Amino acid sequence: MAATLAGVPARPRRLLASRRTRIGILYALPAVAYLLALFVYPIFSTLLLSVQDLDGSLTLHWYADALTGVNLSVLFTTLRIAAETALFSLVIGFLLANAISRLRPLPAALAMLIVVVPHFISALVRTYGWIIMLGDKGLVNQLLAGLGVPGAPYQLLYNEIGVVIGTTAMMLPYTVLLLYGVMRGVDRRLLAAAASMGAGRLVIFRRVYLPLVAPGLATAGLLSFILALGYYITPALMGGPNQTMIASLINQQVMKQNQWNGAAAEGVILLLLTFAGLLLVKLVSSLGEAKKRSAS
Amino acid sequence: MAEFGVSTPSVGVAGAKPAASTGKALSVVALRKTYGDAVAVDEASMEIAAGEFVTFLGASGSGKTTTLMMIAGFCEPDSGTITVGGRDVTRLAPQKRNLGFVFQQYLLFPHMTVGENVAFPLQLRGVPKEEIRRRVGQTLEMAGLSGFAGRRPRELSGGQQQRVALCRALVYRPPVILMDEPLGALDKKLRDQLQVEIKTIQQELGLTVIYVTHDQEEALVLSDRIAVMRNGRIEQFDTPRELFERPKTAFVADFLGAANFLPGRVEQQSDAHTLVRLDHSGGLLKTRRHDLAAGVAVTVAVQPGRLRVCPPDDGFCTGTVETATYVGSVVRAGVRIDSRDTSRDTSRDTSRDTGRDTGRDTGRDTGRGAPLLRLEVPAGRGPVTGERVGICADPDDVNLFPGEQGR
Repeated sequence: MAATLAGVPARPRRLLASRRTRIGILYALPAVAYLLALFVYPIFSTLLLSVQDLDGSLTLHWYADALTGVNLSVLFTTLRIAAETALFSLVIGFLLANAISRLRPLPAALAMLIVVVPHFISALVRTYGWIIMLGDKGLVNQLLAGLGVPGAPYQLLYNEIGVVIGTTAMMLPYTVLLLYGVMRGVDRRLLAAAASMGAGRLVIFRRVYLPLVAPGLATAGLLSFILALGYYITPALMGGPNQTMIASLINQQVMKQNQWNGAAAEGVILLLLTFAGLLLVKLVSSLGEAKKRSAS
Repeated sequence: MAEFGVSTPSVGVAGAKPAASTGKALSVVALRKTYGDAVAVDEASMEIAAGEFVTFLGASGSGKTTTLMMIAGFCEPDSGTITVGGRDVTRLAPQKRNLGFVFQQYLLFPHMTVGENVAFPLQLRGVPKEEIRRRVGQTLEMAGLSGFAGRRPRELSGGQQQRVALCRALVYRPPVILMDEPLGALDKKLRDQLQVEIKTIQQELGLTVIYVTHDQEEALVLSDRIAVMRNGRIEQFDTPRELFERPKTAFVADFLGAANFLPGRVEQQSDAHTLVRLDHSGGLLKTRRHDLAAGVAVTVAVQPGRLRVCPPDDGFCTGTVETATYVGSVVRAGVRIDSRDTSRDTSRDTSRDTGRDTGRDTGRDTGRGAPLLRLEVPAGRGPVTGERVGICADPDDVNLFPGEQGR
């Protein structure tokens, strides 16, 4: 018996007794130190800050402040704009990625370049670009007026339309990249197989293609939602007073009021919202899976 | 969708009679497809009867898959027509042809269970739920997959996945099922097993199947008729027996049976037989009558299994056994046949002496070394290496092709 088990190392009595464990810890050390210093420590100090009163005693009133009055409406605005951004970047991203995934390799690579390269330019520059494009005398409004669209020029800046256009444009490269990868992975012959059985284009899209890219859609939607939640520059520059988002609020508290504790509480709330979003997607996908399993 | 529901017969799958047991299920007329300058399929024509198992057999690039893809609708022909059950489908989209297709890569939908995969084509046709459940159950049971309805395709082995794909293609009883090398991705043992299963199901249900393969053994096992394809053309479309025993071209003789080829000239023509003088041995070989004039250069083709060993100088040629490999029921032997002469010059002289005046021997391979004949003889009294043997063949087993084809 002992001979047959000789190849399998016995469980070490003490954690550091095994040479492999010791070397493993040695390799992990830099990464652990890096994470401790740059992620765990700041997050815990933020947490601590958010529950400390100015005199150092424990309190929850920063959270109470954050969840009442104007601050609460800022929170809701943030959620709404993030959701709208996620939706639009998902829809437009889907259309773009779908079109690109049907191209031959060379044109597809070129198209991806066109989608991604603007992202190399500073977000600030791109935001100012949008402001120029969307102004009363901007390209978009002039085009609409030239085409005789009634009501032109429209107010496309310093309101929610402006913010959503701006943030959607910022998120698009992410959704397109993600969805393109998923779509490239779909075996197109599956669609041909469905056609051979008599499925029309619409049925193939709904029953075969969409379910196959669904995981990508969930990930891309979640990613743009989370990124939009904490987005600062574009909403700050392209929105009006009613489009103040949580990141702008934090900025105001720190820079104008020197109110670190309140800002910390807002930051923690943002973090929790992100977690909630992740959890929600996980829940929805596992629910769908369970429903499928019970149906079969 | 509704019209599908009406037209779908509500008979069960297992043991059901074929929808149309007579008449032609599919016909292809002068089908042609080119890619640039390359002709992929050249004027292919055939008629396939309902309930028939037809195989397109050929090497890669022979046009067999292209022909199948045109029948399925995945690729549009340049010219020609395809008719399924009397309906011209040449320009129809694949989904409107109501055919079944089994792919080499299975192509099961990964997001559906096995049961959902098989139910999918029935759902498309608006079959009632209860009926779907029954037919999916029956079909899976027939394929030996009863307990697998709730599994995901990826949890199944390759052979099981291909069985599911087969179920999915036949559950809605299409008039013709197309199969593109469905066993190509499986190992030999599983392939043999599935061949038998496919053949059994096809016969039980009276399915009309068009099957594509490059494996001639598979084609022989499965098919009622085989279309041997080469360079985009149908070389011969016949039963396996006809292809084997009465090949129309040297290519078919070589492709199906790996025939022995020997050059010769027609010596004499009688009512029942044709006599051929072989270039190498100078021996006379009797064959069944072929309509060829005396003096015409021909290629003789005989399958290795149709050659017999006889006492030296009794047969159409004599030679020395070079190799003899015992492979169970038969011995595979290689016999180097004696040439009349060792040098080419004297070989030519003798050919003149024997009265063959149309000596167009230039460029022919005839004088260059004696050919090796491959034999498959019963193992019992098999030849041994080094033995001197004569070689005989039944006149009916010898095929003649005019000219200097073959190898």
